[in-house]
Amino acid sequence: MKNYLLNLSTPKKLAALAGFLAIFALVIGNSGSKNKISVNAKELALSAIKDQDKISAMTLADWIIKDKLDFTLVDLRSEKEFTEYTIPGSVNVRMEDLLNSDLKRNQKLLLFGNDDISSAQAWFILKSSGYDGVYILNGGLNSWKNEILYPKRNVNLTLEDSIKFEKIKQVSIHFGGNPQVRISESTSDAAITTSHKIAPPLPKITIPAGTNKKKKEGC
Amino acid sequence: MMPYYKFNYFGLDTSLVIAVIIGIGFGFALERGGFGNARILAAQFYFYNMRVLKVMFTAIVTAMLGLFYFTWIGWLDLSLVYTIDTYIIPQIVGGLILGIGFVIGGYCPGTSIVSAATGRYDGMMYFAGMFFGIFVFGEMFPWLENFYNSTPMGRVTLPDFLGLSYGLVVFLVVAMALGAFAAAEWGEKVRFKITGRIKE
Repeated sequence: MKNYLLNLSTPKKLAALAGFLAIFALVIGNSGSKNKISVNAKELALSAIKDQDKISAMTLADWIIKDKLDFTLVDLRSEKEFTEYTIPGSVNVRMEDLLNSDLKRNQKLLLFGNDDISSAQAWFILKSSGYDGVYILNGGLNSWKNEILYPKRNVNLTLEDSIKFEKIKQVSIHFGGNPQVRISESTSDAAITTSHKIAPPLPKITIPAGTNKKKKEGC
Repeated sequence: MMPYYKFNYFGLDTSLVIAVIIGIGFGFALERGGFGNARILAAQFYFYNMRVLKVMFTAIVTAMLGLFYFTWIGWLDLSLVYTIDTYIIPQIVGGLILGIGFVIGGYCPGTSIVSAATGRYDGMMYFAGMFFGIFVFGEMFPWLENFYNSTPMGRVTLPDFLGLSYGLVVFLVVAMALGAFAAAEWGEKVRFKITGRIKE
């Protein structure tokens, strides 16, 4: 047998090699076109028109404080932006790495970028790849900043509104934010833009205890 | 991970340099395979000489097995490799025109350049004719445009079209190639017995 194989001409040896690789290919089947997916467009459209997969910044803040968060927070921005500031307890996953990351199909994921666009794109990629629990932080990090970190209130509020703002203020301080009071009632557009420009520095990331603990695997 | 260009390993400029290097290598391999000679190429159509079939099938099988196993190992993402979209009727017509030109002239576009590079006059003439044809096609394009873009089918691959796994398609093509090699060898032996000549 060994002599028979050695005595074969080079073309025949190569042909035998090709034949062997072809039979092995038959065993492998599909060599892994993991990035190509088929999509049920109707199902996606239906889950998009229901607003159930959007979560407001306030709800999220509430969950984090009460330690009720069972989401994995996914920050889709660049690594540089992520190290500057992120919502406590988030993981940084870039768009192109979504399907190769540690995120699991049975995890509940809450996506956010600076605005809604990147999270909506990532939502589509994940949804169409069979990730079921995918949610979007409504308004992204911009609305987190506006609503939680630097909430603004007008001077003359009703009592009810004041109580509400007190609560927001507590939430804001919890996350190291800086609630602001608008001094003049006559807030022109210019005043608002300037107050945006001199936005106070972002708080240092202080991860509240409990939110960053590893999810238990298995039962 | 391959394809390198899609993953931004290098830009457009570098990719053109790489294309030139690969192109020279491709032309060299064609010439060494005997594809710079119109007699050898045209003989395939009359079954005098099966070299074209052997070389082409060898190239197809080698590239196919390489792509398949690179994807399996994880070096390559096959879904990102560029394939031309299918426009079935214009492409059948175009294929027929190219085939007729191939039989008459003895070259296909690539081999005519190889032949011209080796200093053959027929290759140079073919090369000039090809560019004249491209010029005429370009001038006529406004009239041809509708037909050119008709019956679009998008990206079609055999596994998708036939609903088979990639592995099965690889197996079938290799089996077809090995069968064709065996048949070509057998045919050449028979021909030698009848005519006493080996080639041409």
